[in-house]
Amino acid sequence: MFKKLLLVTVVLALAIPLAIPVTAQDDKPKIGFLPGVVDPFYQVMELGINQAVKDFGLEVVTQFPESWNVTVQTPILETYIARGDLDYIIIAPVDKEQMIAPLEKALEAGIKIITVDTFLGDGDYENGLVTFPISYIGSDNVEGGRIAARALVEALGGKGKVFVENTNPGVSSVEGRAVGFQEVIAQYPEMEFVGMEYCLDDATIAAEQVSAVLQREPELAGIFGVNVFSAQGAGNAVKAAGLQGAVQIVSYDATKDAMENLRNDVVTMVLAQKPYDMGYLAVAFAMADWRGVTSLPKRVTTGFAILTKENMDDPEYARFIYQVP
Amino acid sequence: MEPLLSVRNLTKRFGGLVAVNQVSMDVHPGEVVGLVGDNGAGKSTLIKMISGVYQPNEGEIYFDGKLAHIANPSQARDMGIETIYQDLALAGNLDMSANIFLGRERKKRYLGGLIRVLDEKFMLQEAQKLLQSLDVHIPSATAKIDYLSGGQRQAVAIARALYWEARLMIMDEPTNNLGVIEQAKVLDLIRRLRDQGVPVIVISHTIRDIFAVSDRIVVLHRGRKVADKRTQDTSTEEIIQYIMGARDDYHRN
Amino acid sequence: MVSEAQAPSLPATSKRRTTGQQAILLGSKIWSWLFLLMLVFYFSWQGTGFFSLRNSQNILVAIVPIVLMGLGQTFVIIAGGIDLSVGWLMGLSSVISALVIREEYNAGVAPWLAIIQGLLAGVGVALAAGLINGVIVAKLRVPPFIVTLGVSFVARGIGFLLAKGNIIAGQPQLARDLGNESLLYYVRGEGGGWYFLKKPDVTGAQLRMMDRVFTWPVVITFIVVLVAIFILHKTQFGRHTYAIGGNREAALRAGVPVDRHVILLYMMSAGTAGLAGVMHAWRFSGGAADAGDALLMMSIAAVVIGGVSLFGGQGRVIGTVIGALILAVLQTGLIMINVKTFYQYVIVGIIVILAVLMDQARDLIVGRAEAAA
Ligand SMILES: Nc1ncnc2c1ncn2[C@@H]1O[C@H](COP(=O)(O)OP(=O)(O)OP(=O)(O)O)[C@@H](O)[C@H]1O
Ligand SMILES: [Mg+2]
Repeated sequence: MFKKLLLVTVVLALAIPLAIPVTAQDDKPKIGFLPGVVDPFYQVMELGINQAVKDFGLEVVTQFPESWNVTVQTPILETYIARGDLDYIIIAPVDKEQMIAPLEKALEAGIKIITVDTFLGDGDYENGLVTFPISYIGSDNVEGGRIAARALVEALGGKGKVFVENTNPGVSSVEGRAVGFQEVIAQYPEMEFVGMEYCLDDATIAAEQVSAVLQREPELAGIFGVNVFSAQGAGNAVKAAGLQGAVQIVSYDATKDAMENLRNDVVTMVLAQKPYDMGYLAVAFAMADWRGVTSLPKRVTTGFAILTKENMDDPEYARFIYQVP
Repeated sequence: MEPLLSVRNLTKRFGGLVAVNQVSMDVHPGEVVGLVGDNGAGKSTLIKMISGVYQPNEGEIYFDGKLAHIANPSQARDMGIETIYQDLALAGNLDMSANIFLGRERKKRYLGGLIRVLDEKFMLQEAQKLLQSLDVHIPSATAKIDYLSGGQRQAVAIARALYWEARLMIMDEPTNNLGVIEQAKVLDLIRRLRDQGVPVIVISHTIRDIFAVSDRIVVLHRGRKVADKRTQDTSTEEIIQYIMGARDDYHRN
Repeated sequence: MVSEAQAPSLPATSKRRTTGQQAILLGSKIWSWLFLLMLVFYFSWQGTGFFSLRNSQNILVAIVPIVLMGLGQTFVIIAGGIDLSVGWLMGLSSVISALVIREEYNAGVAPWLAIIQGLLAGVGVALAAGLINGVIVAKLRVPPFIVTLGVSFVARGIGFLLAKGNIIAGQPQLARDLGNESLLYYVRGEGGGWYFLKKPDVTGAQLRMMDRVFTWPVVITFIVVLVAIFILHKTQFGRHTYAIGGNREAALRAGVPVDRHVILLYMMSAGTAGLAGVMHAWRFSGGAADAGDALLMMSIAAVVIGGVSLFGGQGRVIGTVIGALILAVLQTGLIMINVKTFYQYVIVGIIVILAVLMDQARDLIVGRAEAAA
């Protein structure tokens, strides 16, 4: 009996419609930040966000998904929507297809979207598959892939087998990197692309996969780690096999770990993205949109800093290392 | 009279161990057979082959004069062989009526039998009636078996076997866990079954009880049958000698 | 209750429980309800927008896959097993159903027909995997932990292979509507109100006043929950599920077709996971091999919080639903009050342990006295 009563109460508590009016029309927008996963890259982006929020005198709500998965990111997004007090959501969609429907609901609820680091659809918000976000602010990942490939080609003297350690399928950013990388490698007849694996954003899995590839391809000469975790895993696997120097690694993301590897010659080159810029710019864009600016570019690429053992201690470059407090 | 049950040269091995070795015995209608033997003699194993729990490695079982392949316990039950197991075989997380009707639940049918719902009320009433008729007191009819005393559980196991109008009743140490009065009741019950023409195989370590109810006594020793005697033709001392292996009627050289 | 009156042999003391025991007994039965209620009240009081129609729906949508996977799991665990394959089976089903829908749709098949074909394919594959789980567990007696873990890896691999390391997109609008549109709509503000089955014709600024109430996946899950409650608590099948978990050997000797039953249980478990996968593909307009990766442990947590004993033999369907609600309320609530959701895991961990302790406290302290209840 008591249980039934409780059930009724719970159901009521969950179901009574409460017409809470949307209190958006303050003179300053409220922002929700929803990165792809908890990692140093997004933590630096959060620093940029927080700085901008402070500079503009805004409020921000931030939640880090604990893993890279639409089933983890979407509930957080929907709760952002249900809060009813957010005007802008700055998000790194974890899937370019699957996150479209959930983000359209945010749009319906009157929330504007800015995507950072990763984009929706084909990333062309002007004439592409998806046009509703205000802007995409991130690296030119295809170009980043090309840069990584050229660096490897140079380090290897234009000859050798190369492998890509990727993270998740269906993610615009890392997909672009692989595409750019393969494109350049294909231009060199003596370079051979021997394959790609997905570590699902898990450095341990990445290390296992790279170890296996080192077994399979004894002549492997170069590896491209497309993000923090892939590069970390690749570095660990190469170290474990005692192949530092023999196998060249180029990697995305300037984490402390990556710097350590750079210093110890495990990694040849690190492409530092500019997550701080992405975060800061995204908030600035939101603010500008709020103030009626209508000519915001639909796509902004933030560029790279290319870090090597030689320049990594130069403050001019060192500031792009991902420093998480 | 034709035996209701007749087993021929049953053998059951567990790996290298021969738990039951070439045992043959008959059970006639209206007869109580006492099955005795030391711990590990093979009594439980023998009756489990009859109730379909184990498949014999060798030998045949005839029921009603016909060769019977008892592939599983539910076939045995369908043939009318009810068994009270030594370990009782009750589901501790269910109540007594659920246990009594387990595997043979009474259902209410809706939409021409498409939807069948447990008839809890009927099963509970039947269970209560049954226990009452057995003069067993269980304070809460809906308590889980786990929460009952050993004797109460034994009573539920007995009640379950009795409910389904057995043609052959097998009881593996049914007086275990029971107080003196309850033990007497069980012996009474066995006699009542016999009077109704239902033969009973009863296993017990209490020789006095076996002599009190049985018409015939079969003794197993290390898996072999060593004696098969009419109760009135033997004595406690003699049976104990068989149990200890000092006597053997079927010894082959 | 006749027999109670005639029970002089039983010591009178065992019939009465102390107040402390009574409190524990009651506590163990309703603590999860109370905890849920407490969370709801707390977050409503503290959180921005928690106590709203939209958020209630948000929570319901969020629990769909957890509840679906948890339902099958509830049956399996009650029968003394465990199914670790449901997470990746959900992903595999989402990939297969999305693939079938896309191919059929592109070949000119009507969207509704393609969707039905996708549903059958997605759930069908899951059922086949469940059959494999069940047969190996029941007939070959391999511990379910191992079997389902193995099948999980196989499903994971096949999922990624089929999707060629990608997402299966290209779904018709109808699939997307099925995943996101609802039975009811409520438009707040002037000229608003309830709309049944028909999406109100609102645009622009008014859209933000519209709430979808009971989206189709929620409705379908609700029906599945009702069916599960019926099966587990009202039918012979449910009774046998408990009996197998309580004492497998006893069930066998009572004539319960244990092997067949266990096989069916694993098929049910895989089937509900498959349904969750199919609805994932609707909702997100695409199938992803890793769709259920993050959800398996959540669903098991929901089952345990809901009072299903991992030793088998005990638990209720509604408990699992409550468990899932607790998880979702915690997550959304923490976001509403702007606390890092990582605390969710700490809290969930504590209540999982608390749930098991509650169970044992009941058995230890109340134990025999329950007999006299
Ligand atoms: N399932 C089994 N697997 C292996 N060995 C078994 C099994 N069941 C019984 N045994 C062995 O077979 C022999 C006969 O056992 P059984 O249970 O039939 O003896 P019992 O005469 O009923 O003894 P008790 O009086 O102690 O109940 C014993 O040695 C026992 O250990
Ligand atoms: Mg025995």
